Amino acid sequence: MREKVKPEEKTEELTKACPTCFEVPIGPIHPALKEGIRFTFWIEGERIRKVDIRPGFMHRGIEFMGTKRNLIQVLYLAERICGICSISHPLAIVQAVEQAAGIEVPPRAQYIRVIIGELERIHSHLLWAGVAAHELGFDTLLHYVWKVREPVLDILEDLTGNRIDYAIPIYGGVRRDVPPEKYPKLKDALRYYRSLVDDFVNFFLRDPSIEARTRGVGVLTSEEADSLCAVGPTARASGLRKDVRQDWPYFAYPDLEVKALTPEDMGLEVRGDVYDRIVVRLLEVVQSIELIEQCLEEMPEGEITAFPKVAALLAHLKKAEGEGVGRHEAPRGEVIHYIRLEAGEEAPAVWKVKAPTYSNLMPWYPMFRDQEIADIPIVAASIDPCICCMERVQIVCDGKAETLLKDELLRLSWAKTERVASRVTRQVSPGRGG
Amino acid sequence: MSGLNALWQAILVLVGGGVVGFLYKGLDRKLAARLQGRIGPPLRQPVLDVIKLLLKENIVPRTAIPWLFQAAPFLAFITAVTALLYLPIGSLAPVLHGYGDLVLLLYLLAIPALAMAMGGFASGSPYAVVGAQREIVMMMSYEFPLAIAAVGIAWRLATLGIGPSFSLATIAANPLWGLVGPLGWIGLLFLFVALLAVTPAELSKIPFDIPEAETEIAGGLFVEYSGVNLALFYLADVIKTLVIAGLVVALFIPYGLAVPLGITGVGGQVLDILFFLVKLFGVVFFAVTVVRVAFARLKVDQVVRLYLLPTTLLALAGLLLLVLDKVVMGG
Amino acid sequence: MIFKALFLQLFTRPVTNRFPAKYMPTSVLGFLGKVQEGKAKIVPPVPVTEGFRGKIAYDREKCIGCQLCIRVCPAQVIEFKPEEKKIRMYVTRCTYCAQCVDVCPVGALSRSQEFLLADYDRFASNLVVE
Repeated sequence: MREKVKPEEKTEELTKACPTCFEVPIGPIHPALKEGIRFTFWIEGERIRKVDIRPGFMHRGIEFMGTKRNLIQVLYLAERICGICSISHPLAIVQAVEQAAGIEVPPRAQYIRVIIGELERIHSHLLWAGVAAHELGFDTLLHYVWKVREPVLDILEDLTGNRIDYAIPIYGGVRRDVPPEKYPKLKDALRYYRSLVDDFVNFFLRDPSIEARTRGVGVLTSEEADSLCAVGPTARASGLRKDVRQDWPYFAYPDLEVKALTPEDMGLEVRGDVYDRIVVRLLEVVQSIELIEQCLEEMPEGEITAFPKVAALLAHLKKAEGEGVGRHEAPRGEVIHYIRLEAGEEAPAVWKVKAPTYSNLMPWYPMFRDQEIADIPIVAASIDPCICCMERVQIVCDGKAETLLKDELLRLSWAKTERVASRVTRQVSPGRGG
Repeated sequence: MSGLNALWQAILVLVGGGVVGFLYKGLDRKLAARLQGRIGPPLRQPVLDVIKLLLKENIVPRTAIPWLFQAAPFLAFITAVTALLYLPIGSLAPVLHGYGDLVLLLYLLAIPALAMAMGGFASGSPYAVVGAQREIVMMMSYEFPLAIAAVGIAWRLATLGIGPSFSLATIAANPLWGLVGPLGWIGLLFLFVALLAVTPAELSKIPFDIPEAETEIAGGLFVEYSGVNLALFYLADVIKTLVIAGLVVALFIPYGLAVPLGITGVGGQVLDILFFLVKLFGVVFFAVTVVRVAFARLKVDQVVRLYLLPTTLLALAGLLLLVLDKVVMGG
Repeated sequence: MIFKALFLQLFTRPVTNRFPAKYMPTSVLGFLGKVQEGKAKIVPPVPVTEGFRGKIAYDREKCIGCQLCIRVCPAQVIEFKPEEKKIRMYVTRCTYCAQCVDVCPVGALSRSQEFLLADYDRFASNLVVE
């Protein structure tokens, strides 16, 4: 059954369902949104009665670009999927490629990956806290949080060479060591953040105006979070103890024994509102500090990469054949990279990226239910959306964007699977499966 | 007073008010920035902003009601400026002394907000409509405590036999704090706090900037305004800040320096005007600048609740204490 | 409540980075001209760390023309000049990953600390390395 619905027809249908509502479009360009996505709200007075979300403005075709380059180039392309979690995508793709090509990673490299990944979590959560404060009209906190975010960026620059887009992981290890002479500076920064935790609690969790704006706003119950597959802090704030680092440990995480944190760990009742999401992110900053300290103590000596010569790595990757899945707990949630390599080909045959925001889109619907217009920015920001990372499809038919329904998408994806499968199985040797 | 003399005085007050208004706006932005740990814009930035706006094209959206859309900023500006002329400055009586009193000033203060709401409704944008609705709702909630504070003082003055009690010049010349008993003193304090609480809402500043709410409704009322129209709203805001702060000063801290220091003549008047400007700055700093950096924006229902319950109750308690004071003192 | 922190900040030096000047100059080009004439002073940028990855420096003499850097470069910055067996780099495209530095077998490429590379012309002499 093929059925296409034009956006205008849908609008009429929704207007009929709520005759006293008026339509407020938010986005794709709006001060509350840092990236382009379109919300259409049907508002009754100040209450939201219905919402329609239409992504697709930021599609960049990165996966397609990836299949035209060799794997080392793909690594830096993956880094640019997201500017804020610029280590999460490389960490996921290196896992996928290492699995596909059978590369063993030296233990020290695993620890360094964790250190950089956790430093990024600190900076990403602080950035989010600033953005959230700005959405609430609390610019003082935005400036304060971004001020205290500078030291972690300085540390990242010191360790990796860049403030963002660190270019640190490589297949088989990391590109730069964290030498012992850099430990004191790193420890100083961690001590600095520890000393700030009280301030954060005071400014964010005990501030009456923030509490008034976030308590009971954008509620996502744990059942909804579970059935809609929310990930990351969004899921944990709803009381789901769900964390890739805990459920599926990788890198050095098995040694570090990470536990997924929910507001209960701060002695609070789980309500699944925006306030809880602030609590969880704050807890995770503290957790990241602890993890890095633990890493610095337990980090073994040794090599930092399995392939000191990049040329050898390129040759190995060219010979490699197989598929791999990499999962990493990015600051926003689970990021998954799937990759399929073919022998003799430098470029991956298939590269599939699933960014955390993709899973957190659907939870927006229950969150927006019966909220006020004033809550839109903070509820939208509360999942820490990263629209660019998430966009995978933009369908343009005869120069017009169209809405496709499930059946049509299913049919298209079957057709694509067949196309890809026929191309891939041709070259796969018997016994390995397609 | 001859008409010509009054005209000269009015021009002087308006030019002076403009200069001081821009200075305070610049100081407000600078100090807010310093409170947030930033450098902030140079002091002359508000002037540059207005000059830039005056040079820009004035766009009237196709969905707007053009005459209403165009009239609203002029109405807001003219009423704000007129209100300035009813303000006692230092020990000087208002320029339009005798042509209107406190009640008129309260109405004049309400008109810019109404004009903004009208302009918002007329601009035909859903954001502006939401902003205008919020402005009206907010106005309905803060006008009551404001009126109580003003009327309470005027009434107490009348009971003391000082008249005409609604004239701002009379109120400014007879500070109530020294004329009432301890109960009345507490009552006055309550009214003072209530009036300070109303100040940021009158000026639509955070936490009460819901009609504009940049991150929510993209500037709300002003979303369709540009060029000269927006500049006029900006100027109205600059002047209104002075008027509100001046009202607070005239009602509650009308003290001068000249009389206690024994300076008379022009020197005394100049000293009083300078002291008046300092008091004005104090009110702007503590009731607007500090408040707007220390809170998050509230929602419209929270604003209404805040004004209709605690603030109104505080003002009513103040009024009640003034009444009790009259009974006790027998004034 | 945040008041204590606010008033502390009121009396401490703002944290804003003053580079290149405290306030936006009326004319940026005019300001830069004045700096060159020595009439105005630029506030220096925050110093970079030792391992900073800035503009790639190229040692032409050492280069053997193996083209490995061209293979790994994710942004296609590098162009091969077949007649001389040397390379040319267009800095405006560079993503500063320094993968070419890692891959170079003879150490002809290195990271520099230079990062103030804004220019009106993308082919300015400063932005084409050869």
